[in-house]
Amino acid sequence: MMNGDSTTINITETRKETKGEAPLFAAPRVVASTSVVANTSAVEHPKGGRYKKGIAIFDFILRLCAIAATLAATVSMGTTDQTLPFFTQFFQFQASYDDLPAFQFFVIANAIVTGYLVLSIPFSIVCIVRPHAVGPRLLLIICDTVMVTLTTAAAASAAAIVYLAHNGNSSANWNSICQQFTDFCQSVSGAVVGSFVAVVLFLFLVVLSAFALRKY
Amino acid sequence: MKASGALELGEAPKGSTPKSVANRGISILDFILRLIAIIGTLGSAIAMGTTDETLPFVTQFNRFRAKYDDLPMFTFFVVANSIVSAYLVLSLALSIFHILRSGAKGSRIILIFFDTAMLVLLTAGASAAAAIVYLAHKGNAKANWFAICQQFNSFCERISGALIGSFGGILVFVLLILLSAVALSRR
Repeated sequence: MMNGDSTTINITETRKETKGEAPLFAAPRVVASTSVVANTSAVEHPKGGRYKKGIAIFDFILRLCAIAATLAATVSMGTTDQTLPFFTQFFQFQASYDDLPAFQFFVIANAIVTGYLVLSIPFSIVCIVRPHAVGPRLLLIICDTVMVTLTTAAAASAAAIVYLAHNGNSSANWNSICQQFTDFCQSVSGAVVGSFVAVVLFLFLVVLSAFALRKY
Repeated sequence: MKASGALELGEAPKGSTPKSVANRGISILDFILRLIAIIGTLGSAIAMGTTDETLPFVTQFNRFRAKYDDLPMFTFFVVANSIVSAYLVLSLALSIFHILRSGAKGSRIILIFFDTAMLVLLTAGASAAAAIVYLAHKGNAKANWFAICQQFNSFCERISGALIGSFGGILVFVLLILLSAVALSRR
């Protein structure tokens, strides 16, 4: 018996109780004077919800930019084919991306990443619509981390070969082929730059997902 | 009704719920993984940095000495691995802080950001070196690049082995980021 205390005990019906699945005598949680957080309806904490929705929209936009970057890199590398107008009996004067395994890996990896990004757009939209959903966000951050590794690996190995093509290496007696194949060199270098742009965008995507994962 | 006893619900003592135990386990696993990554990246940096092979014959025109700084990609590899090792040692402190105080959210986000940046750096260094190691093993007929591994055997073995520790470090970094993300989402 509480005499002198005029405590009002709010017994809010949870959804389980309205469905008839939980007993009505489950102890009401009276925690000081803060109102009971027992209703599990879809009313989220508004401040966190708007913030997360903004992050999710920015994430979506970054994803679209990353699709553009990786697609451009793939196409730019994949359509390289330069044939010099002269030839001799012994040497080839044709350069294409599949002459170098690093470039083949680059094209394949960027194609995979473009495909992944297109497939991850629905998940990103789900995160915009439901800002407090943890599952899609966690999946996105995991897959984004793996994809950032793949993209960086492809971009860096192609960059190493492009550097060698531009500068050669005297210690290993490797000639710089860019002096002959200028168009090939240009489109290949542009592809590598596009891929590195995609890497930076992925970095932002991972950090954004980490921000959005916080529980307020 | 005497509700004072039953009204203690929802106020479980901190530090002993299964959730906080799991969070502490995640932080401890994070710490252990960081130690493994330190060993991997430091080993790679040292293995690549101490390469020096001189072939026993000499002519007037050709070099018969191979060192890691003959190729700028290997220099980048050594530098990147050293930076990542130093970062990991410094981040051990933050990791210990997370073990002691599982509720820190802002520092976890900082940790994820730097972990991702270091992952990118490490992957860039490792794959650039891997591309050159592949070239050193196989050469390239179309570009007239000769496979130097046929002459410099022990140099080649060293540089190939140095890649292993670095790629192990990459794997560990991916796991670290996942762990931090899971820990963030559980709070």
